[in-house]
Order: sequence, then C-alpha cells, then structure tokens
Amino acid sequence: MDFEFSVKEQDIIQDVREFLRSESTPELLEESHHLGHIYGGTEGRKFIKKFAANGWLVPDWPKEYGGLGSSAMLTFAIKEEMAMAAVPIIFVAAHMAGPTIMHFASDEMKEKWLLPIARGEVEFALGYTEPQAGSDLSSLEIHAADSGDHFIVNGGKSFNTHSHVADYHWLATITDPEAKRYQGMSMMIVDLKSPGIEIRPMITMAGWQTNEVFYNDVVVPKNHLVGEINQGFYYLMSALDFERMFPLAAYERIFNEIVSYTKDTSVAGQPLSKQPLIRQKLAQLKIELEANKLLFFRLAHIIDKGQIPNYQSSMQKLFATETAQHITQAGMEILGYHGLLKKGSRHAVLEGLIEQSYRTSIVETIYAGTSEVQRNIIALRGLKLPTK
Amino acid sequence: MDYDLSSEQNILKESAHKLLAKECPSEFVREMAEDKTGYSEKLWKKMADLGWMSLLVPETYDGSGVNFLDLSILLSEFGYYCVPGPFFSTVVLGGLPILTAGSEAQKAELLPEIAAGKRKLTLAWLEQEEIYQPSGIQLTAEKTATGFTLDGTKLFVPDAHVADTIICVARTASEANGISLFIVDATLPGIQLTSLETMSGDKQYEVCFEKVAIPADRLLGELNGAWPVLEEIMLKAAVAKCAEMAGGADKVMELVIPYVKGRKQFGKPVGAFQAVQHHCANMLTFQDTNKFMLYQAAWRISEGLPFTAEAAMCKAWVNESHGKLVGLGHQIVGGLGFMEEYDLQLYFKRARTAAQMFGSSDDHREIVAREMGL
Ligand SMILES: Cc1cc2nc3c(=O)[nH]c(=O)nc-3n(C[C@H](O)[C@H](O)[C@H](O)COP(=O)(O)OP(=O)(O)OC[C@H]3O[C@@H](n4cnc5c(N)ncnc54)[C@H](O)[C@@H]3O)c2cc1C
Repeated sequence: MDFEFSVKEQDIIQDVREFLRSESTPELLEESHHLGHIYGGTEGRKFIKKFAANGWLVPDWPKEYGGLGSSAMLTFAIKEEMAMAAVPIIFVAAHMAGPTIMHFASDEMKEKWLLPIARGEVEFALGYTEPQAGSDLSSLEIHAADSGDHFIVNGGKSFNTHSHVADYHWLATITDPEAKRYQGMSMMIVDLKSPGIEIRPMITMAGWQTNEVFYNDVVVPKNHLVGEINQGFYYLMSALDFERMFPLAAYERIFNEIVSYTKDTSVAGQPLSKQPLIRQKLAQLKIELEANKLLFFRLAHIIDKGQIPNYQSSMQKLFATETAQHITQAGMEILGYHGLLKKGSRHAVLEGLIEQSYRTSIVETIYAGTSEVQRNIIALRGLKLPTK
Repeated sequence: MDYDLSSEQNILKESAHKLLAKECPSEFVREMAEDKTGYSEKLWKKMADLGWMSLLVPETYDGSGVNFLDLSILLSEFGYYCVPGPFFSTVVLGGLPILTAGSEAQKAELLPEIAAGKRKLTLAWLEQEEIYQPSGIQLTAEKTATGFTLDGTKLFVPDAHVADTIICVARTASEANGISLFIVDATLPGIQLTSLETMSGDKQYEVCFEKVAIPADRLLGELNGAWPVLEEIMLKAAVAKCAEMAGGADKVMELVIPYVKGRKQFGKPVGAFQAVQHHCANMLTFQDTNKFMLYQAAWRISEGLPFTAEAAMCKAWVNESHGKLVGLGHQIVGGLGFMEEYDLQLYFKRARTAAQMFGSSDDHREIVAREMGL
C-alpha cells in the first residue's frame, strides 16, 4: 500500500502547478469562468495548446499519440491541478471521446484523431441527450441513414454543451431503428460546420450556455463512424465512465476560500473559525473531500492495473458531486446574507463565489448521469442486485 | 499510490479469516457475550502461536516488527467475526504505552511476554467524567518513600478481570498536564473490580484503586509527561477500532445483500426495488470509503508519517458511516434483522460500541479543525 504520489509524479505535478500559475492570464480565467470551464474558447485554446505541448493533457496516452506514457495516477493528479487553477477542465475530446477511440476505433481513426486531440487542437461536443432521451439514452430518435459512402443524419439534440465552441460533434445516433434496444445505435464524429447543422443556445441558471443541435440532411462520411456500426451504445457507456471520473478541486478551491473567510471574519468579537459549530461543519467537509480523494485516485489505481473501473466511477461521481453541494450549502450557511451578493456588488465577499457556485452546483448531481442513475449502477453493477 | 494489500498481507488476512471462521462462529460470540470470562484460552493460545500478539512488538523484543497496517488488517478480521476477548486491550491499549513510553528495562520485561501471549494487559484511563482530556483525570498517584500510592476510581477499563497488568493513568501534579502512567500489577492489594453490564457483552470494569502502593520503577515514561503519549495512543486506538468496524461492514454486506436478492415480496426480490437498491448503493459507498480512510491512516502510522489529521478524519468518518451502513442493513432486511438470533444485531451493537470509544465524531472533527489551522 502507498497513499502518496511517487517522487517522479510529484516532480511533474510541481511543474504543472508552476506552469498553471505562471501562464494563466486574467483573460483566460475570465473566459473559462464565463464558459463554465469547458474547453473550446479562444483563450482556452491558446493556453491549452501550450500546456498540451508538454504531454500534460493526456499524460497516460502512449507517446506515439501525444502522451507521456505515464500512469493514470499522474493524469488524475494533473486534472485536479487544472480544476484547482480554474482553467478549462471539461475536455470532451481528450478525456471522454479520446480514451474511447483508443479502446474501440480502427487504427486509421486513431491515426487521424488522437494526435490532434492530444495537442489540444480539436475539441468535441458531447452529443447524447435529446428532448425525450435524458437518463434513458437507449431512447434516441435522431437517425443516420446509410447512403453508400456516407450517412445522412436527421433529428435533434438538446443540452449539447460544447457545441457552440467545439469543432466536432461526438454524436450518438440511431443507425438501425428496427434493432433491439441498445443494438441499433452508432457513434460518429461530425464536423459541426457541416451544412444542415443548426445550433441554438439554451441558457442555464448558472449563466452558462448549452445548446440544441438540429440536423437537417447532414452528410457524414463513413470513415467518421467510430468502431463498429450499431455498437454505439457500448462506446457511449464507456465514454460516460470516463466522464464520470470527476475532479473535485474546483470545489476544494471554494472550500479553501470559505475556510479563509472564517478566519478573516469576526462576529461578536471572535473569528467565525473559532465557533464550534462552524469548526464541525468545515471539518466534516474536509473529511468528505478526503474520502472523495481516496475514491478518485482509486479509479486511477484500477486503470493503472490494466482494469476498467466499473461501479467505482459512478460511486466517485456520486460522492464528489454530493460533496460539491455540501460545500456550497455550507458556504451559504456561513456567509449568511453576504452569500447572496453577486460578483461586483457592493459588499460582495469572495467575489460572489458562493452566490455563483451555489447556483452552479445544482447541476453536478444531474449531468453525466443523475445521482439516482449512479445509485442504480452501483446497486446493479457493484452489488449485482436483480432488476426483476 | 497503491490501494492493494501486499501478498504477505493477503496471506495474513486469509489465514485469519480461515482460522476465525472455524474458531469464532457467531454462536461462540453469543456464548462469550454471556460468559463471565468472555474469551477462550484455547483460541487465545492459537492466536499467540500464529504470532498475532506480536504484530506491534519490535523484533528485538521477540516480536514480528512494528506494523500497524498489518495489525489493522488482522483487526478487520476480528471485526468481521466479532472476536471476543482481551486482544485489543492487551496488544493495542497495553502494548502501545509500553512501546511508546517504556524504559529499556520495562520493554525487555513486558514486550516479549505480550508478543508470546503470556501476559494480558489493559489500560485504565477514563473516569466518571469520561473525556479524553487531562482534566478528566482525578485518580491520584502520591509520591512516597518507596514509590507511589494510587487512589481513585477508573471506569470503562476493558478486560480488567483477565489483565495481569493494568496501565493506569494518574494525576501526579495539580497543573493541567500533570499526568503520568503507571504499570500496575493487577493482583496488588487495594484493587477492586466491579463489572459493568454492556450492550454488546464486551467486558468493561470499574476499577477502584484504594491506597495501592507501587514501586518507583513502575512509573512508565516521564513523570507528568504522559499526556502527549496518551494523545497519540488515543488516535492509534481510534484507527484500530475503525479496523474492526471496516471488517464488520464486510460481514454485514455479506449477510444482507444476498438476503435482499432472495427475499421476495410483491412477486419480486426486494432487492429489485429501487428504494432498496439505493440503500444498498449507499452501503457500498460507506463500505469502500471506510476501508480507504482506514488504510490511509493505518498506512501513515506504519510508515512513521504524521497521522493526526488522517486518523481523526478516519474515526469521524467511519463512526458515522459504519453506523449508517448497519442501520440501512436493518432497514432492508426488515423484521427478521430485529431478531436476536439473526447475526445483524451483533454488528449493530458493536458498531455503536466502537463509535463510543476513543472519541466521538464531534471530538475527531474538532481535531481535524485544529489540524486545518482553524
Ligand atoms: C447544464 C447541462 C449540461 C449538459 N451537457 C450535456 C452535454 O454536453 N451532452 C449531453 O448529451 N447531455 C448533456 N446534458 C444532459 C444531461 O446529461 C441530462 O440532463 C441528464 O442525463 C438527466 O436527464 P434529464 O435531464 O432528461 O432528466 P430525466 O432523465 O428526465 O430525469 C428526471 C428525474 O428522474 C430520475 N430518473 C430518471 N431515470 C431514473 C431511473 N431509471 N431510476 C431512478 N430515477 C430516475 C432522475 O434521476 C431525475 O431525478 C446536460 C445537462 C445540463 C443540465
């Protein structure tokens, strides 16, 4: 057993931290904040291309595909550093689609896509959800018709977040409407600039943009099909597992801010940090963060052993996102009225961080599979409970 | 990072699992909870032959080397089988103070006997005001010409009835931290035991010391210097208790998960109902996080790294989540789980018992808060 990073890992983490500190600009952080930390904005691309040149975007990929051939442990640690630094952290191509391509796609497709992804040159948008298909992704309706050397796609997606800043759509579409459930879906990579695609904004209560994406006779070349036709549901599930490995440092940063606030703020003649109830609350959050850390790096440990995390990703996603909400709730409780003040307001504290993150954290337990869905997975896959 | 047990640790775990399956079935646990002595000398000898009592004793004292992580792995198996008896009191509560504070001579005298299972010990710490703070210590040790005289009453002294030696925490000066430790021969005149009746049938005693005269060389560690030693022991004992809870959780899961897969209501297994499934998912999350919190703290202790924060986080977390795990176990098994003859009750009682010992979750969160610089 060993619960610390190796010296080599620590050295690289130190370099990453240094880079994040010296290279991130106010413009980058502003854009990242505005976009909800997804990748694809102008500043983000400038920054990440430099960052990725060190192999840090996908350290555990083989060198030939632009990684460092390192441990997943290092990759996970770097993700936490990025989340802590508030730079873009949600990468569809590098962290969700990429590993799936690596596992399931043809050599030709790997050659074409993996290097540009590793260098941060392209970003994808997740194209799963449709109005009638949220938690139940087997009920997609969008359809790709076989038309010789290409497909013709018609239908619509909703909540496809990166679409307005990404280059390609990581599209889940029906290719065999007659097939049994789970067996008629395929994954494709679609150029978002293709004629016939229309993107319409959906604005969230966090102030971020997600999108509806409409397909009207969109032509997709066949060599953009990922892996085997009609196997898409399984690829989607695999990509979802990668999406569910959730770095929590963005919320740890908020927690750290709350802790400093309690030390700096006096009420009735003593710092808030000396009040027993506040100490209990903060210590409890610290403990939850620690438990999450252990669940998070367990995933890396499993991957480094050559295995694929199963229910464990769901458990970590569930635990992390509930901890995130505990943190923002505690922030509100501790800040009182001041917690309600938006960034820029007179008397705002912590630059309105709590007001903002309290709203934002609501979605964490919803996307990438709701908490209920994660508990279903833990029960069914982890404990093999029956369905009927 | 590496979350796996080493192959030696796996062997330790498996051999303990095997032996205890045979020697410590739940009928035995129930019997010992009723029994006055509360353990079997035969099993004690077998454990000693396997070297289990030697896990915290250095090789120079005939032990197998100090390895807290290995001990935690073993204690998890004890928790799995609810092993009764004075193992914890002897090895953890008796062994640690000697190991940490003992003189060369005291170690040479006592540690080899602990390692061989030939001497049983316990720690007399708490009193009426049961707090893990110096102010809770009122029992006095007065200096005399030949040594000290102990006067006062200790509560919650585990396994005092079988202990050959009692490590006694006493007040030796009026200033707050004027606390010292003494190695007390349990047969000395003036020591009187009264058994306390406990929820899970573990053996706890009130121990009255009435003008108990002890020689000067029985002072353990520095005069008035015991408090830092005790703080460290409290944390280590807390982690060791977490090991029992983590092991207990494994058994609870093995009891209840197959049960909900088999038990049918409304034409299907109750485990097919989502309300039940989500309870189960929460239980698995508690089981996994408990284990990692335990392993991390125990590993740090083993490696000689600072461990205060991790140990306190561990106890605060495991206390509560193990309690919830067992509670949910009861919920999903329904009425059957409430039956005395169903083993779940053994774990329910021991979960609460362990949670009460060596600091509540609130106590440990306060330690975490201090460690955070609050
Ligand atoms: C800000 C934001 C960004 C998003 N980004 C993307 C994206 O980039 N790409 C993309 O494809 N999707 C995206 N999504 C969609 C997201 O993945 C879905 O919202 C999510 O999976 C839940 O689906 P739903 O909203 O349709 O809720 P529903 O599935 O309708 O669920 C409603 C409620 O029913 C519960 N429920 C549903 N099924 C079960 C069940 N089997 N057992 C128990 N309870 C159940 C749910 O837990 C929930 O509480 C995004 C969503 C948001 C809000």
